Amino acid sequence: MNKKKRIFLLLTGFLAIIGLMFLIEYLRGKSQTNASEGNLLPGQVAIFWNGKFNLGFSGSDLEGLQEASFKDVEEQKTQQGWLLKDVLLNFYEKDLFSEDTVIRISSSSRNLSATVIWFEVLDEENFILFDLSGRGTLKLVSVMERLDERAEWVQDIDKIEINPQ
Amino acid sequence: MKKRYFSTFQIFLMTFFAVLIVVAKIALRLPLQLSGHSGIFWMAIIIVGSKVVPKKGAASFIGLMSGVISAFMGLGDFGALNTFLSYTVVGIGTDIALLAFGNQENLVNAAFIGVIGHFGKFLVKWVFGVISGAPVGFVALGLGKALISYLIFGALGGILGGLTILALKKAGYFAYLAEKK
Repeated sequence: MNKKKRIFLLLTGFLAIIGLMFLIEYLRGKSQTNASEGNLLPGQVAIFWNGKFNLGFSGSDLEGLQEASFKDVEEQKTQQGWLLKDVLLNFYEKDLFSEDTVIRISSSSRNLSATVIWFEVLDEENFILFDLSGRGTLKLVSVMERLDERAEWVQDIDKIEINPQ
Repeated sequence: MKKRYFSTFQIFLMTFFAVLIVVAKIALRLPLQLSGHSGIFWMAIIIVGSKVVPKKGAASFIGLMSGVISAFMGLGDFGALNTFLSYTVVGIGTDIALLAFGNQENLVNAAFIGVIGHFGKFLVKWVFGVISGAPVGFVALGLGKALISYLIFGALGGILGGLTILALKKAGYFAYLAEKK
């Protein structure tokens, strides 16, 4: 096989894989929408208030919010994104939360979750924020001791549960 | 006795490049919040490595070794298997691209080799996301943006690798290596 033919085959295969990726992603988005009984659009994160579905949001809903950043202790990588406090206050009035309101952030695909209390969320020094992962999903990171390592972070977040005490 | 495919010296060199990838990943930080930006170092090193050891499978070996080291060092956000396969597939992708494009000294070829090799890493991360049932992108066109970023940094890494090869050649490094074997 000559060089031209090899390059042609490689680039055709490369483009075919990319096309297949987008097709699968489109179908996954459709099936995730169906699984949420039409409550969520593809890519949206669900917020449950006191156990009941309340709303779904995506990146476009957070465009006006200021981002925060810190360097993680493990790899000294910059983690940057929207503070959980700002995300929640973007949709809810502050007086709906009390200091001991429990907020659980979870990922159903990775079976991971983290629970934080509103007074921790309010403290900007804790840097409880959503970093955007390489594949465009949300990742909960923080400098708080129980959430400052990769093994403790929650990747591919799809649900936030707010339980006022 | 059957002659081994890689000499001990070549294995040493490839392992050196594998370590260099891991060190670059840890020590070199670009202040960019763009997916796959480390590919600029990564692809440069792997392309230079595949020229220093000009045998089929050299890039795969470098990828495999760097994957083993990185997995044991706990690098990456998505677990050891994801890290191991990401690094390894970069090497395999580079070898496949080398079969088609050949000469890495040509900067256009080097850019394409960088693109294909780095795309391997993106593919592994995406496949893991699909298998684990990760939600589709939170941001509009998230996958497309990440893919473009990966391809651009792969190409830049390829060009950087190609330039490094040219500089090494000019300095007489490959003539020196030919004597060593």
